[in-house]
Amino acid sequence: MLALKLKELVLRNYRNYENLELSFDSDLVIFAGKNAQGKTNILEAIFLSCTGRSHKTSKDRELIKWGKGEAFVRTRVLRQQGIREISIGLFANEKKKVFINRNPVSRIGELMGHLNSVLFSPDDMKLIREGPSERRRFMDMELSQVQPAYFYYLQQYNRVLNQRNKLLKEIQKKPSLISTLSVWDEQLADAGSYIILQRKLLCDSLQIIAQEIHHRITQGAEKMLIIYKPSVSFNNADRKEVKKNFLRELEIRRTYDLERGITSKGCHRDDLLFQINGMDVRTYGSQGQMRTIVLSLKLSELEFMFRETGEYPLLLLDDAMSELDPIRQQMVLEYIGKAQTFITLTDMGQIPAFEKKNMQVFIIEAGKASPC
Amino acid sequence: MDCYVEPIARLINELSKLPGVGSKTAQRLAFYIINMPGEEVNQLASAIAEVKDKIRYCQICQNITDVSPCRICVSVQRDPSVICVVEDPRDVIAMERTRDFRGLYHVLHGVISPMNGIGPDDIKIKELINRVSDDKVKEVILATNPNVEGEATAVYISRLLKPLGIKVTRIAHGLPVGGDLEYADEVTLSKALEGRREM
Repeated sequence: MLALKLKELVLRNYRNYENLELSFDSDLVIFAGKNAQGKTNILEAIFLSCTGRSHKTSKDRELIKWGKGEAFVRTRVLRQQGIREISIGLFANEKKKVFINRNPVSRIGELMGHLNSVLFSPDDMKLIREGPSERRRFMDMELSQVQPAYFYYLQQYNRVLNQRNKLLKEIQKKPSLISTLSVWDEQLADAGSYIILQRKLLCDSLQIIAQEIHHRITQGAEKMLIIYKPSVSFNNADRKEVKKNFLRELEIRRTYDLERGITSKGCHRDDLLFQINGMDVRTYGSQGQMRTIVLSLKLSELEFMFRETGEYPLLLLDDAMSELDPIRQQMVLEYIGKAQTFITLTDMGQIPAFEKKNMQVFIIEAGKASPC
Repeated sequence: MDCYVEPIARLINELSKLPGVGSKTAQRLAFYIINMPGEEVNQLASAIAEVKDKIRYCQICQNITDVSPCRICVSVQRDPSVICVVEDPRDVIAMERTRDFRGLYHVLHGVISPMNGIGPDDIKIKELINRVSDDKVKEVILATNPNVEGEATAVYISRLLKPLGIKVTRIAHGLPVGGDLEYADEVTLSKALEGRREM
């Protein structure tokens, strides 16, 4: 078996669901219904079980049904090694609790990698259109799922960065503290060099896969490039070299950083650039080109995770099909055969497009799901 | 609070200021104290008053002690050429339990953390430097916690000590003893690999 299979999903007091229990026995699951009935909430809960966070909000409070104090999400997933059960308790006034096979997990990072998914939603256009933080988040989510150590270094980096920024401001008041600045630089460069190299590896792998997919979608008309723009340049993918360059950049920028009270260089300033036939898509791309890039990227994410972990992750398509033309829909359908796929649809007329496949359809209405 | 008579309310209020004690526990403790023999209550009260009165920082190692210099600092059985630097007096107790370490200690009483407004002058680093320059110290072991702040403090101290020609070491981090490799998390394992030694 080469793909993860989600077998069961239980929601209690989650968003608009008081009590939902669903079992899945097919590779294609469709949630159909009108707007604002709770289709996306189901995909969100699955995504939460993968990464420990929602793709829509960072506040746990919003995930809990109005008027309730706690919510609960449980998934059972079939992997090569057997069934794994992931439970997440969400609380209004406490941190969330995570259990894997009923054993409590102390760090949220340990959740990563048990259930992997790729989510494709209309929001993903932000990836291209908006600022670089969206693109860094994309790289971080991807790497954290296949590589638990990445998540650790990322947390480490953010903590050091906060300390360093605070210190830069403190030095303005008390100049003698400057003697402690270099110890934070050291740690920032250490965690940062790891992050940069992993991001580089990710982009190199995605580039190869995405290019091929993109080539097929556009029937050879467009050549797509993913260019990683690290904030620290390097010639060889060598941790020592990256760290050295990182430290040099911090050194060069020191006066500037001290004036501004903020760290102006580092992986928190990295970016990704997408090009089609040598042209920057963010600035010059059409709506359709952006959509195609996002699709190629998402499908290559799927392929990347398969190569890294040996199993296809879940494919979550949130209202994504309606925006695609038949060629692009066909591309997605090819993957539906490889990865277990969860789709939300508003237009019931779209269901026949999938009819050949063995599928399950649930009609979602006001926080209830009924099999169809 | 209103339903208690004033002395009980005061006791509950004071107890609930302790760490890990909520209002329910404070109430339980208070009612227990009410029923204790008068003599025991006096012993408890005087023990609390005394601990504040008699405990101070050792003038040498900055550990908490009732006599200064403390017993470890004056002991002839300890090796004064090695100093183990820790964050907190509880870390001294943990190290002592190993019975492996025969050197002296230095307690920093905190770590550098700009977010909490703690700089090198707010912890006992100056005292450590003074000690090291006076004494016949050959090695300083940095045993701060293996987190971001502990690491920063260790690096900071090592940069101050190295020019003085003293050997500075950092405690290893890695696998717990008796643990299985397969159960170790990836980060711990890769740290252990990084800190491997030749056999």
